[in-house]
Amino acid sequence: RHRIRTILSNPLFCFSEDGGGEDLAKSGKGNRERLLSTMTQAEIKLCSLLLQEHFGEIVEKIGVHLIRTGSQPLRVIAHDTGTSLDQVKKALCVLIQHNLVIYQVHKRGVVEYEAQCSRVLRMLRYPRYIYTAKTLYSDTGELIVEELLLNGKMAMSAVVKKVADRLTETMEDGKTMDYAEVSNTFVRLADTHFVQRCPLVPATENSDPGPPPPAPTLVINEKDMYLVPKLSLIGKGKRRRSSDEDATGEPKAKRPKHTTDNKEPIPDDGIYWQANLDRFHQHFRDQGIVSAVANRMDQVISKWVGQWLSGIFTYLQMWPLAYSQSQHSRVNSEFQFTFQTQTSSEIVRTMLRMSEITTSSSAPFTQPLSSNEIFRSLPVGYNISKQVLDQYLTLLADDPLEFVGKSGDSGGGMYVINLHKALGSLATATLESVVQERFGSRCARIFRLVLQKKHLEQKQVEDFAMIPAKEAKDMLYKMLSENFISLQEIPKTPDHAPSRTFYLYTVNILSAARMLLHRCYKPFCLSCLNRTVCISCLLSPQSVANLIERRQFETKENKRLLEKSQRVEAIIASMQATGAEEAQLQEIEEMITAPERQQLETLKRNVNKLDACEIQVDETIFLLESYIESTMKRQ
Amino acid sequence: MAEVKVKVQPPDADPVEIENRIIELCHQFPHGITDQVIQNEMPHIEAQQRAVAINRLLSMGQLDLLRSNTGLLYRIKESQNAGKMKGSDNQEKLVYQIIEDAGNKGIWSRDIRYKSNLPLTEINKILKNLESKKLIKAASKKKVYMLYNLQPDRSVTGGAWYSDQDFESEFVEVLNQQCFKFLQTKAETARESKQNPMIQRNSSFASSHEVWKYICELGISKVELSMEDIETILNTLIYDGKVEMTIIAAKEGTVGSVDGHMKLYRAVNPIIPPTGLVRAPCGLCPVFDDCHEGGEISPSNCIYMTEWLEF
Repeated sequence: RHRIRTILSNPLFCFSEDGGGEDLAKSGKGNRERLLSTMTQAEIKLCSLLLQEHFGEIVEKIGVHLIRTGSQPLRVIAHDTGTSLDQVKKALCVLIQHNLVIYQVHKRGVVEYEAQCSRVLRMLRYPRYIYTAKTLYSDTGELIVEELLLNGKMAMSAVVKKVADRLTETMEDGKTMDYAEVSNTFVRLADTHFVQRCPLVPATENSDPGPPPPAPTLVINEKDMYLVPKLSLIGKGKRRRSSDEDATGEPKAKRPKHTTDNKEPIPDDGIYWQANLDRFHQHFRDQGIVSAVANRMDQVISKWVGQWLSGIFTYLQMWPLAYSQSQHSRVNSEFQFTFQTQTSSEIVRTMLRMSEITTSSSAPFTQPLSSNEIFRSLPVGYNISKQVLDQYLTLLADDPLEFVGKSGDSGGGMYVINLHKALGSLATATLESVVQERFGSRCARIFRLVLQKKHLEQKQVEDFAMIPAKEAKDMLYKMLSENFISLQEIPKTPDHAPSRTFYLYTVNILSAARMLLHRCYKPFCLSCLNRTVCISCLLSPQSVANLIERRQFETKENKRLLEKSQRVEAIIASMQATGAEEAQLQEIEEMITAPERQQLETLKRNVNKLDACEIQVDETIFLLESYIESTMKRQ
Repeated sequence: MAEVKVKVQPPDADPVEIENRIIELCHQFPHGITDQVIQNEMPHIEAQQRAVAINRLLSMGQLDLLRSNTGLLYRIKESQNAGKMKGSDNQEKLVYQIIEDAGNKGIWSRDIRYKSNLPLTEINKILKNLESKKLIKAASKKKVYMLYNLQPDRSVTGGAWYSDQDFESEFVEVLNQQCFKFLQTKAETARESKQNPMIQRNSSFASSHEVWKYICELGISKVELSMEDIETILNTLIYDGKVEMTIIAAKEGTVGSVDGHMKLYRAVNPIIPPTGLVRAPCGLCPVFDDCHEGGEISPSNCIYMTEWLEF
C-alpha cells in the first residue's frame, strides 16, 4: 500500500483575488441552487475519507464543501467554510495540483473552482495503476508512476532524480541506479501514452496591452502531449543517509522543490508530466476482454484446470505492450508453452495491442485489421500457421460472444473488436454474478431468463425457468425490491384495471448497473474507516477526525502499540547503523511483548485484507463504470 | 334423413315383435332414429305400445336415448357396454354416457351436471358408484373424470413435469444435471482431442436429438420424454449460464431436424469469475439499504465486517 504524503510543490497557477465583489452573493446563491451531481451520500463520505487520508483536514474540508455545493469563487469558499483565505488558497493549490479541482473564468472576471468528485474517487485506483506500471515496466516504471500520482504533476528531471534515489536505496551496498536507465523507462512510458504532458500557459506571441486574465487558460497541442524533451540527464541515484532526516522525522520531500540543496535551474522547467489515467483504463479494459475470451474459448471445461490456467494467465497479462522487440522475445521464450493453449485470447490481445493508439478509447469498434496484418503482428516466436490463424479468426467471429466481428474480405479478411458489446457483456456478467452470490443460482436463472427474453409475465417465468410458482414469485419480488428487475404495466383497457393489465418483468442493464455501482462504494467507506482507525497514527501525526465510539478503546490501544513499535524499530535501525551487538539488539526487540507482537500481526493482516478487498471491489467498479460511460457516449 | 322403406305390417302387435322391429330399425340407422321413423315404419301401432316398447328397450340397455334439435333420438347401443351397465339405473347410464363422450380429455363434474341436469348430490353419488365399479377414474385434480381405461391427455396432467398437479422439482433438477454432464463431457473430449480448432469446436456441440437419445437410454425417467421436453430442460441450462445454443440449417430428413433447422448445444465457462464486490461483506449484506453512518447499522460498527476480518 503506497502512502501519500502531503506535498506542497510549486504552485503552477496564481490565484486571483475575486473581482466583482458585488456579484459574490448572486453567484454564490446560484451555485448552491445548481443541481448537485448524482453522487450518493456514500460516495461523498468516501471522498471525504480519501481527502482526509491523503491530504489532511483542511484540504478535506474545502474539497468536500466544493463537492457538496458545486462551483464557487474563492471568497465564498472562505466565507462558507469559515476558513482563512490563506488556508483556502493552500488547499485549492493542493487540489488543483492533483487534478481534483478545476477552475473557470466566468464573466466579469470571476474565477470559480469546481471539484471533480469522480476524479477524487479515482484515488482508490492508484494501487492498480502503480501495479500495472510495475508489471509492464518493472520497478522503475512502478516508481515513476507512483511519484507522478503522489505529486500530481512533476518535471521529468525531478522524477528521474527521485526515482533513481529511491531505487538506489533498495540496491546492495555500493550499487547505484543510473539516471539514463530511469530516463529510458520514462521515455517508454511516454511513447505508450501512460504518462502525458500537462497543459501549459500558452506563449503569448502578441503582447496584449490589456491586463492579464484573472486565471490562465492552459492548453496542450495533441502532438506535443507525449513528446519527451531532449534532456541529457546524467547522474546516479544517491542513498539517503540518516543525517539527512529532519529531527521530526519528516521526509525531505516535504520542502518545496525550489529550495533543494542544488541551486541549479532544472533543464525542463515549465514542462510538467502527469499520469494518463485514461490510458491505464484502456489497458484494464483490454485485460478484461482478453481474459473473458480466454475463459470462454481457451480453457477446458473443468474447474481445477480452469483455475490453474487462469493463474498462469494472470501472469501472462504482464506482457509488455511496448513495441520493442527485445522485450517481446524475452517474455515469449519464458511462456511459449502456455501460449499454444491460449490461442484465441492471444489473437484478441494482439488485435487490441495493434489498436492501442489508433482507436480512441470511447469508440464502439476498433479499426478494421486484416488477417495478414494480424499474422505479422503476432508475438515473435508464436508459431501458428496462417491457416490456423484464419480458422481461429473465423471461430472468434462466429462465436455467440460477438466480441470479434468480420467487416470485410480484403487482405485475407478484415476483423474488428466490438468494444461496446464486450463492455456490455462484461457488465451483464457482473450483474449476474452478484445476483448469483446474493440470491442463489435459481434466482440467477430467473434473472438471465428475463434478460434474454426482454419481457415476461409471471406465468411465463415459471414455465421457462421450470421453477415452482411460489418460489419463482418469491425470487422475482426479492429482485424487484432491490432494483435488479423492474415491472412494466401494460393496460389492456383504458381504465387500467389491475385484472385487465399485463404485468411484465424486465431487466434494464443500464439502470441496474448504475444501482450496483452506487452500492460498490460502501465497502470502500467501510474499509477506509477501518484502515484509518488501524494505521492513521502510524503515518500522519494528525488524529482521526471522527473516532467511532465503539472503536475508541481499540484505537487508543493500536495507537500506543504502533508508536511503540515504531520507536523500537527506529532504535534498532540506529543501533545497527552504529554497529551494535546481537545481544543488545535482542534486548531492544524484546521491548515489544509477545501479545503485543500478536496484536501487530493481526493489525497488519487486517490492513492487508482490507487492501485486497478494495482492489477486488474496484474491479467491479471499473467494469460497471466503463459500460455506463460507453453507453452514455452512444446516446 | 334417408328415405324410409315403408313395409306394411300385419295388424297383430306383439310387444316383442315391436321391440325387435325397433331394434332392426336402429341397426339400419346407426346414427339414431326418431319416434317419427318408428311411427312411419309401424303405422298401425299405437303411441302407447310404441312407448312401452321403447321404454323396455331402454331399461334393458339396448337402446340409447339422445336429444337432438328435432327431438328425441333412439340409438342402438354397443353390445359390450350393454353388459357393463347391468344393474345401473338410467341416471348412472346417462352420466356414464356423458363421460364417455368426453373421451381422452375428460370432463369436469360441473360440466356433467350441466349436461345431465341432475342435482349435485345425485351426481356425486353416481360418480362414487361408477368409480367403485372401476368404470371411470378421476384424472389429475380429482375433478376431472374420464373412463378408467384411457390414458389422460398431456394438457390435463400438466405434461411430463407434473404428477397429480405437483411440479416435479427434483426430477427436473436431475435431468438438468444429467444433460449438463453429458454436454460437459462432450466438450472436454473435444478439447482434449487436440484436433484443428474447427473440428474441435464442432465436435463439442451436441444436437437436442443427441441429448434426448442419451437421456432416454439412461432410463432415469419413468415418463416418456419427447425431444421438446429435453429442449425445455436444455433451455434452463442456458438460463443457468452453463450452456450456449446455436441454430444451424439442416437438410430435411436429417435426424433431429425440425423444419429445416437443428438446435446445437454446448457447455461453456462463464466469462468472468465471481465479481470483486461479492468478496466484500457489503456485497452480500442483507441490510445494505439500512446502513448509514451514524445510524444503528453503520459501516463503522458493522458486525459482518468484524467477522470477516477475524476469519
